[in-house]
Amino acid sequence: MTEPLQATQHEHASIGTYVRVAVILCIVTALEFTVIYIRRLTPILLPLLLVLSAGKFALVVMFYMHLRYDAKPLTFFFVSALLLASGIALALMTLTGDFLVFKR
Amino acid sequence: MSTLHAHSDFARAILHVYGIITWTTALIGVLVFVVLGIIIVRFRARPGDTELPSQTRGHTVLEIGWTIGPALALLIIAIPTIQIVFRTQTAATPPDSLQVTVRGLQWWWEFRYPQLEVVTANELHLPAGRRVALRLDGPDVIHSFWVPGLGGKRDVIPGRLNQITLVPEGPGEYWGQCAEFCGASHANMGMRVVVQPPEEFDRWVAQQKAEPGEPAGAAATGKTIFAGSACVGCHTIRGVSAGVLGPDLTHFGSRSRLAAGMWPNTPQNVAEWVKDPQRLKPGVKMPTLGLSDEQATAVAAYLTGLK
Amino acid sequence: MATHEAALRTHDAAHARAAEGSGVLAWLTTVDHKRIGILYGSTAFAFLLIGGLEALLIRTQLLRPHMGVVSAQTYNALFTMHGTTMIFLAVMPLNAAFFNYIVPLMIGARDVAFPRLNALSYWIFLAGALFLNASFLVGTPPDAGWFGYANLTTRPFSPGPNVDFWLLSLQVLGASSVIAAVNFIVTILNMRAPGMTLMRMPLFVWMTLVTQFLIVLAFPSVTVGLIFLMFDRFLGTHFYDVAAGGDLHLWQHLFWIFGHPEVYILILPAFGIVSEVLPTFSRKPLFGAPVVIYSGVLIGFFGFGVWSHHMFAVGMGPVADAAFSIATMLIAVPTGVKIFNWLATMWGGRIRPTVAFHYAAGLVALFTIGGLSGVMHASPPVDLQQHDSYFVVAHMHYVLIGGSLIGIFAGLYYWWPKMTGRMLDERLGRLQFWLVVLGFNVAFFPQHFLGALGMPRRIYTYGVGSGWELWNLVSSVGAYVLGIGVLLFVLIAARSLRSGPRAPADPWDARTLEWRTSSPPPVHDFDAIPPVYGRDSFWREKYGDARGRKPAPRPETPDPHGIHLPSPSFWPVVIALGIGTAAVGALLHTALVVIGAGITVVGAFAFALQHHRDPAHVVQIGNLGVDHRKLAMWVFLGSECFFFGTLIATYIAYKGRSVVGPLPHEILNIPLTTLSTFDLLMSSLLMVLALAAVQRDDRAQSRLWLAGTALFGLIFLGFQAYEFTHFVHEGLTLQSNLFGSTFFVLTGFHGGHVTLGVLWLLALLVLDLRGRLAVSDSIKVEVAALYWHFVDIVWIVIFTLVYLLP
Repeated sequence: MTEPLQATQHEHASIGTYVRVAVILCIVTALEFTVIYIRRLTPILLPLLLVLSAGKFALVVMFYMHLRYDAKPLTFFFVSALLLASGIALALMTLTGDFLVFKR
Repeated sequence: MSTLHAHSDFARAILHVYGIITWTTALIGVLVFVVLGIIIVRFRARPGDTELPSQTRGHTVLEIGWTIGPALALLIIAIPTIQIVFRTQTAATPPDSLQVTVRGLQWWWEFRYPQLEVVTANELHLPAGRRVALRLDGPDVIHSFWVPGLGGKRDVIPGRLNQITLVPEGPGEYWGQCAEFCGASHANMGMRVVVQPPEEFDRWVAQQKAEPGEPAGAAATGKTIFAGSACVGCHTIRGVSAGVLGPDLTHFGSRSRLAAGMWPNTPQNVAEWVKDPQRLKPGVKMPTLGLSDEQATAVAAYLTGLK
Repeated sequence: MATHEAALRTHDAAHARAAEGSGVLAWLTTVDHKRIGILYGSTAFAFLLIGGLEALLIRTQLLRPHMGVVSAQTYNALFTMHGTTMIFLAVMPLNAAFFNYIVPLMIGARDVAFPRLNALSYWIFLAGALFLNASFLVGTPPDAGWFGYANLTTRPFSPGPNVDFWLLSLQVLGASSVIAAVNFIVTILNMRAPGMTLMRMPLFVWMTLVTQFLIVLAFPSVTVGLIFLMFDRFLGTHFYDVAAGGDLHLWQHLFWIFGHPEVYILILPAFGIVSEVLPTFSRKPLFGAPVVIYSGVLIGFFGFGVWSHHMFAVGMGPVADAAFSIATMLIAVPTGVKIFNWLATMWGGRIRPTVAFHYAAGLVALFTIGGLSGVMHASPPVDLQQHDSYFVVAHMHYVLIGGSLIGIFAGLYYWWPKMTGRMLDERLGRLQFWLVVLGFNVAFFPQHFLGALGMPRRIYTYGVGSGWELWNLVSSVGAYVLGIGVLLFVLIAARSLRSGPRAPADPWDARTLEWRTSSPPPVHDFDAIPPVYGRDSFWREKYGDARGRKPAPRPETPDPHGIHLPSPSFWPVVIALGIGTAAVGALLHTALVVIGAGITVVGAFAFALQHHRDPAHVVQIGNLGVDHRKLAMWVFLGSECFFFGTLIATYIAYKGRSVVGPLPHEILNIPLTTLSTFDLLMSSLLMVLALAAVQRDDRAQSRLWLAGTALFGLIFLGFQAYEFTHFVHEGLTLQSNLFGSTFFVLTGFHGGHVTLGVLWLLALLVLDLRGRLAVSDSIKVEVAALYWHFVDIVWIVIFTLVYLLP
């Protein structure tokens, strides 16, 4: 027996944590909304928005979807699928249309 | 039509890799078959043999060996492959090349020579020894330009301009056919490629640029019928009509095959064709015009006379 | 063994459920994995014969030049239906038959994780299969190829309903495959007998697991491609419309991102079968089992990075060609490792040449040919001469017949005694083997020559003097022999069922757990869950380990919960009927679509309620320490990543390609969307509060927060409805331009997900209000919550990539 048959009672985030996460999510969204109007940020807008959005994504997945507290294989499946899907989406954008400078 | 006889630099480059890969893979295949043969002969259980064989579970060194071995064999294939990929796919059109715009349509080919102001259909003439840039363009669905003797195929994709550059070695005549399924008459979308010595090619160009001669007798009747019927809506015959949906027929009689390579271009075949193209070429866009036998014969005489 | 079988016979008859009747109703409502396996197997074999008949018509038309057996249109329909049928209706479900019947037995389980969902997969499959073939009855069979390249498949070039039949049934069949795949992933990961660690799992189970992951992750891509095509054909969008700026490479990428993993979906199960059959009849363990496992996993993984080798002729440029070429060659390494390990398994063995062994060794030989010719066109220059020629037809039949079908026959001869309790005639079986193998080689080896001689695929006729006459004649004759060989199996099978000798529990002196129970197994598979002593556990029990040391026998402890079998259900048939009706409606009348969708939704609710009242398993937490349902949801969300990933990628790839306005920057309302984003984020907070309340049994709070989450979801939908209406007033519709097409389809499908989530939440709320949502049911809220949060994170991505990015 290498794997436990019974689910160990996973530790859970407290209500306080959930509310804090919600506050951060709201602040980041407000930030995202603000930065697109700040002219001086234009050169780094793309990476900035991607990082902010990825942060929100990670917060929801880790806390609201409990991946941080749950069985590790779940994280493995989801993150692998997510990475593979992102890689393929990126390739699709590169090979179709005019996206990304990858001239034929 | 064989892929194993190269008649251009492009085809020759492909054949070079083709050979390397064929021999490498064949060798591996023979190895597997020999081992399998030995196993089946040698390790068959004999009657009454109840003893268990040695329960080997694996052998690390062996397994590493047959992981690395094939990987090395793949290098033999990969290196020339990559070299040829980059060598044969030039994005830019070589400036001194003869440019031909190849248009694939349901179900025929149009060849335009913008530098020479020549337009023809289903029969591509190329000068031997000169670099040619075939620019592939299509207005309807995806087709694929494939003349095995001159090299690999390349798809004709609406909205995407593809290109093949090659130097045909000649002279010779090669057969080509659409290689991407494109609807009902995909099987009937052939083409003839004629590679000629430069002088002969120039003569052909001059002939194509000349005005067709004035028909006489039955052919003159044919011209009247042609000019007075729906034919003119789709076909161009310089000085007579300016349709663009079907092949340019100005020098129709100079081509040796009819209907994208389906039959020899004889007056009898052409008469049959204009009477009922639907019956002869499934799905063809050309409507049945309801010509009588005499009318069809006259039109055929006119068309085949357009040298 | 004798005592073991005796124990089996004396099992308490009370375990047998009323459902084990033999009437039609019992089969319609069955949820027994063995019966579903038999349903899959017999349906698929029937379609194998239909697909074979189509192949023989094709070969008859090509027997001589200028044959007029069928018209050009009929020929095009025949090869389209032959390909679609063999892949989706024959080989995939034949593999599914083995997954269903054998995998639970091999891992020592009493059924799959979701038995009723399993029945649903089968009935949806049947609905899709019948719908596809109904096209013959109305005289409009699909005729644009199994690969359905756009834009040939768009309305202007294929005006009839032919392509509609194809694209609708493929979506239905895809749904069936994905549902089944999620089910089997959970079953394999979570329902193994104690002691069956992952590395002790039989190879067939491993290859099944890899296959299911491929299905889950590969199907979304083609589903998205088909949805685009469906919208283009039915609603006038422009995804594959060149004049509107569409790029025809898009369909080919979406199709082959699925299509290449699909090749491994078809072949890996056969690899698994061979990895069971060869050791059994060589009386040796599989050589280097961990390496064979890893190479299977690697093949599956690499399978996602090679799709564009189907597109070397489309003009992707030398960099992409080179990259996909190298990736493709790399995949040959783990494949080669498998071949060598099989050879090493047989080497030094005491081979008993049964028919099953014949087929397994046949696969090693024939697949090697198919694999090596595959390496040949991994090289783009060579591929440019072989692509879409008969060389490729030969290659892919060496893989799919020489690999998949031969492997399936190995499995049929191997497991037939287990599945039916009867032996097959070995003497006739050998004749059948040689007919199949000789016929196959005569039919397909000459096609290599035809390809080299420049004969393109998918041509209904060829001329005299083409040089293709001889080999076409030979090939057709071989095809007839192959056909006779496959038909002969029907005869052998019928004889076995009627009068074959009774099969003992372990006729082959085999190695894995399915042989430890009677043939056929009792309805509950095992009286007690079998102990697992290691890899090839049953063999160890009989012969001990490599040195002959037997493990100390562990007592079979009876199940603490007693044997619990799921009760039958007719809702799967109802749901499948609803889906079938909706598909028919798409071709006839919108009202019928609504009726079909209504039946499906009602059926789904009844299905879920049945699960709520009468769960299939008492214990739902398995080997991974996770509830089956939660694991299933996470796997499904992985699939959803691919679904939305391809949708979003298409939006971005098409951004800036619209030829007319309105354009995104003119019309997108960022402040308003920021508000709706806030709303959706806050609904996620309410969702976690609801879950926490259910978990601590706080009824008042759980009702409040569940209702709140649903309300916030509705508000989000309200925002979206306002936005869509506004856009339509501004002149942006699905049909206006590429931006309209991609925008509405992407955000529309997201909105559809939100709608589904709201319905789910409301259903839970109703249960809660009626006092039927106990603490023990909190897992149901948790699974719904996972779905809800996922919809939220998808929106986070859409908000950034679609709205905020300039």
